[in-house]
This record gives sequence, structure tokens and C-alpha cells, in this order.
Amino acid sequence: MSLLDDPRATFADLTRPEGWVLGVSVAFALFLLVAMLTGALGPTYFLFLVGLAGMYALLSFGLNAQWGFTGLINFSVAAFFGIGAYGSALMTASSSPIAGGFNPLVGLVVALVVALVLALLIGIPTLRLRTDYLAIASLGLAEVVRLVVLNERWLTNGSAGVRGIPGFFQGWPVLSTFPEAMPGLRLVVIPGSPIILGTSFWQSLLNVLLVLAFAGVTFFVLRRAHQSPWGRVLRTIRSDEDLARALGKNTYSFKMQSFILGSLIMALAGVFYTHLNLYVGPGDLDPITTFYAWVAVILGGSGSNRGALFGGIVIVTIREGTRFLNDVALPIDPAPMRLLLIGVVIVAVMRYRPQGVLPPQRELIWPSAVDGRATPETPDSGVRERKGGGGDE
Amino acid sequence: MTVLGYMANGLVFSSIIVLGSIGLSLVYSIADFANFAHGDTMTIGAYTALVTFGAVGGLGGAVLGLPFGFFVALVVGIGVAAVVAVATEKLIYEPLDIDSIGLLITSIGIAFIYRALIQIGFGSDFTRFDVQQLRPIESLVPYGVRVTLHDVAIVASAVVLVVGLHVLLQYTDLGRKMRAMADNPDLARVSGIRTKRVKLWTWVIGAGLAGAGGVFLGLFNQLSPRMGFNLLLVIFAAVILGGIGSVYGAMAGGFLIGMITQLTPFFSNVVEALPIGPGWLATLLENLITIEYANAIAFVIMVVVLLVRPNGIAGEGAT
Repeated sequence: MSLLDDPRATFADLTRPEGWVLGVSVAFALFLLVAMLTGALGPTYFLFLVGLAGMYALLSFGLNAQWGFTGLINFSVAAFFGIGAYGSALMTASSSPIAGGFNPLVGLVVALVVALVLALLIGIPTLRLRTDYLAIASLGLAEVVRLVVLNERWLTNGSAGVRGIPGFFQGWPVLSTFPEAMPGLRLVVIPGSPIILGTSFWQSLLNVLLVLAFAGVTFFVLRRAHQSPWGRVLRTIRSDEDLARALGKNTYSFKMQSFILGSLIMALAGVFYTHLNLYVGPGDLDPITTFYAWVAVILGGSGSNRGALFGGIVIVTIREGTRFLNDVALPIDPAPMRLLLIGVVIVAVMRYRPQGVLPPQRELIWPSAVDGRATPETPDSGVRERKGGGGDE
Repeated sequence: MTVLGYMANGLVFSSIIVLGSIGLSLVYSIADFANFAHGDTMTIGAYTALVTFGAVGGLGGAVLGLPFGFFVALVVGIGVAAVVAVATEKLIYEPLDIDSIGLLITSIGIAFIYRALIQIGFGSDFTRFDVQQLRPIESLVPYGVRVTLHDVAIVASAVVLVVGLHVLLQYTDLGRKMRAMADNPDLARVSGIRTKRVKLWTWVIGAGLAGAGGVFLGLFNQLSPRMGFNLLLVIFAAVILGGIGSVYGAMAGGFLIGMITQLTPFFSNVVEALPIGPGWLATLLENLITIEYANAIAFVIMVVVLLVRPNGIAGEGAT
């Protein structure tokens, strides 16, 4: 399985879509690298894009934990993302109409707590509903959240948004001064067009490391959760809720757990966005954010975390690529182009590959079971003994 | 404004919501999925009428403050909305081999494509129909009712369309087939009803009514590429309140939701006037029942109805 042990076997093991995705990704990365070396793409902007891709991947992970694992149609992604963003922005920003000026870590905790409360508020009434009703109800409640954020000026500063947000590492021992402390570098790859790496570059680098940390931890937590008995119950609910209930599972409780898990991850994406963008406005709660996350998840393959990662990158390519196209080639307003591309991707995926580009296959099975070389390890003791016969799994 | 004034506004807005919600409900029950592209079908109707009206002009005389050309534009708008919906059904939805959730997600993609194309064609700014803005009808102003002849035209046209639909559903062969299909598609099919054809007619009727609703929405407010999508959730609220799949429920739900959203400023006056128990409750209510939250109130009603009475006010049948 490992790339280092046996590279050739690993590549031979890839399914065709996996090979395609790998090939396209490598080609795309090379393209970006060339663009950066030739100076067409500023390194700071490149890192901003990487941060944005990480953020969408995080958002997609959150949705994946709800839709991909459990089959919950949550159309309130934007609300949780916005609550996460506003939660941390209002706690940390200098222009915050309420508290403000706290350490970003406090902002992170507050944002997650508020998102948890919102998840309960939205989840308790809606998770009992039929799937399509859940879709409509959650979209409606997300809209309610957006209207509240837009109109309660004393709390959120209304349509003006919140400015003066510090970076995430403000107030940390070494990292807060890291960008200023680093020397400005001047790289000359192609004579005549040097690349200058200044303070903003190091700032962006820190952001990228932050989102990598967030996304990495989330990825492994979700991967572990998905393969665990808990994840199996969620998958059972997704394919047949009555069956899960007949097996004695409290499906409402499991759905709620999965909903909260996903919502917290979305709020985490929002917290990161706050410190990446340094400005939060009511426009960030627009339903389009919800559908960006949806496109990423269904394109990547519902239930697949790798797919969500891939989808996140595609979304950033669509978002920023249209802007780039508008600057360079076609004088078409990027907003409708983006919308058109998103729509076409949704329809095309549902038409030609409803399972997504990278549907979860081996992801769902313990690695030792697919290796084929070794028989799956047999447990020393029975499952029941190990668990002490308890638990509601 | 007086209560009567708000109610008159509510009636006009309700007519638009009713036109939208009937189509959504029909498609929900017969094509069996929540069509998120329905709002943008309304936008298509509105912009088609804008283009047609610009091309044909006034055509001489006028009825209820609207030139004849506007009615031609209305008919063309209805027609184009129906044709676009049928083409979408034929090209996109029919070949799909997925469940109703997949169709729901696909319809979001369709909605984006519609809206993006309109935005590319017309820009994202607000526009208006090139008809003269009218003053409120003088004889009604003393009662606090400020409606124009255009508003009367909207309500009258909506009534004509709704009555037409009622006749179609109750007294024609197609209507009976549609009701049979809404009730039980499999049973309808084994009884020899050509369900595919009935489905196409459902799209024609639903999208046509949506197109008409869009034209009237443009006349009532303004036109913008987001007009339909912004109204979509309100229409969903109406459909759910009325009971999904029930056409008459959708009419009632549309009427109620339209009234509630337009009466919100009146309710806020009432709340301010009433001596409500503890002070904090009064403050809370006064803050929440304001015009900014008119739509939010509709959405909350929608969620409450889904929880308490998922079959809506139309009763247990839900068809």
C-alpha cells in the first residue's frame, strides 16, 4: 500500500479515475509552478489560493460528514461557515461592535461553541424530517441566519461587515512576529524576473500551514470515524434508515452526531476564512457558498474525503480561474461565469457520473483487508469482550 | 397605511406567490422531486416578456393601464418558460437514472445555468418594464389602500389563470389523468395513462404559470436575475404550508404566505400597541417582527408546519 515500499505496485493499483485525477493534478501543479517561476503568478497570491483551496476542502469535509456519511441533505452550509467566520471575527476584530480584541484562540473556541448551539437549533427540528424536506428547511433556516446577521447591526455591524481582524497567530510567542522577522528573499530563477518573498509571503505561508493543520487533523479524524463502527452505522442510515432502526440504532441520535460533527468542521473553515481574508461580511453567508461545498462533494464523490479534497481544488480553480479569464481573455463578468460553470458541473456529474469522480471504494475498508497479501488480522479476543459488552454501537 | 391597505398589497403579492406555488406543487407531485429551478423559470418568463415587450411595443390601446403589447409579452413569456422547462425535462431530467434526491441536486445546477445565462445576457442590474408608472387609484386612497391599476391587472390575470387551471384539473381528461398520476403514478400507468405525456403537460402548465408569475413579479417590483431565486424559498414555504402535491393547498398556502409577508409591518404595529407581559418579551417581539424579517417569518412558519403537520393545511390526503 505504501508509496515508499513499492511505488510501481501502488501506481498499478490505481483505478482509472484515480490515475486520471493524479495525472491532471500533477499537470496542474506543474502548470502553476511554471506560472510562478515565470512571474505570471505571484507566490503570495499562489499561497492565498492554496489557503482558499484548503478552506473549501475543509468545508467539503464538513458536508461530507453529513451528506457523504449519513445522507443528510444540509443546505445550510453557508450558515455554519458564516457563523464560524463571524464568531471569530467578532471576538478578535478591533472594529467589533461587541467584545473584540481577544486572542484568536478564544475566537476559535467561541466560534465552535456558537456553531454547536446553531447545529442543535437547526438539527433538533429538522433532522426528523424526510430528506427532501430537510433540504428545503435547512435552506430556509440558513436564510434566517443570514437575515439576522444582516439586520442586527448592534451585534454584527450589519451590511458593513467586520474589519480589522488580526491574523490567527496574533499574540502567539514566536509565530506572531515570524513574518516580520523573516528576511526578504530574492530568488532569480529566470534572469530578469526575480521573485521577491517579503513579509506578506511569510504571512501567507503561515496561513497555509494553519489550514494544512486544520484540514489534516480533520481528514484523519473523519477517516478514522468513517471506518469505525460509528461510521458503519452512519453508512447504514444513509443506505437504509429503516434497516438501521430495525437493528436497534437510535438513528435520530446518530444523525444528530453526524450533523454536529460536520457543522463544527464547517465553522472551522469559517474561522480560517476570517483570518485569511481579514474581512467578514453578510455576503459570506450567501447560499452560493453552500452550493460551492455541494459541488465539491458530489464532484469528488459523496462519502469520499479524498474526493472532497479534489473538489475543493476544483472549486478554487473555478472561482479564481473565471476572475483570471476575465482579466486576460474574455471580458465577461466573472460572477455569472462562475455560476454557469458550477451549474454545468452539477448537471454533468449527475448525468454522467452520479457517484462522483473518486467514489469511496477502498477508503471504507481497513487497509489490511484489501492488501490481499495477508489475511485480515484476527482479533485475539471477541469484540464483545473488548468492548466490555457495553456501548450503544 | 391601514389594515386594508396592507391586505390589498398582500392580495397582489399573494397572486404572484400562488402562480409560482401551483407549478412547484404540480411538479413536486407528478415529477416527484423538489424543483429548485422553479424560481429561475419565473425569471425566464419575466425577461422573455421584457424582450418581447421591447420588440412589439404598445400596440395601440390599453387595458387596466397596461398596453396590449404587454399582454402579448405575457403570453410569450408563459410560452417560453414552458418551452424551456419541457426542453430541460427532455434533455436533462428524463435521461437521468437517479433518485429524487439526485434530481433535486440536478435542478439546482439547472437553476444556476438559467440564472447565469440571464445574467450574462442582461447584466445583474435591476430593470423595469417600459410601462408608465401609475398613481394609486384615487377612489381607494381615502381607505388607506394604495393600489394601482397594474395591481388590479395582476390579481385579475392570476384569478383567470387559477380558475382556468381549476377547470382543467376538474373537468378535462388531462386534468383527471394528472390527478390520477399525482395520486399514484404506478396505478395510473397500469390503467393505461401515458404517464410520460402527462408529465410533459405538467411541466408545460407548471412552468407556464411560473412564467406568468415572473412577469407579474417584474411588474410588481423590478426585474433582476436573482428575482426568482430570491422568491423560491417563499414559494416553497407556501407549497409546504398548503401540503406538498396538493394544487388547492398550494393556492391556499400561497395566499396565506403572501398575506403574512405583506402584513408583517401591520403585525409589528400591533405588537408595539399591545401590552405584552414582561418587558423583555415585548422588546424581543418588536425586534423580530419587522419588515426585514418578513421572509424569515415565512421560513420559520414553513419549518413549524413541516414538524407539526407535514401534510400541510390541505389535510391528510396530501395529493
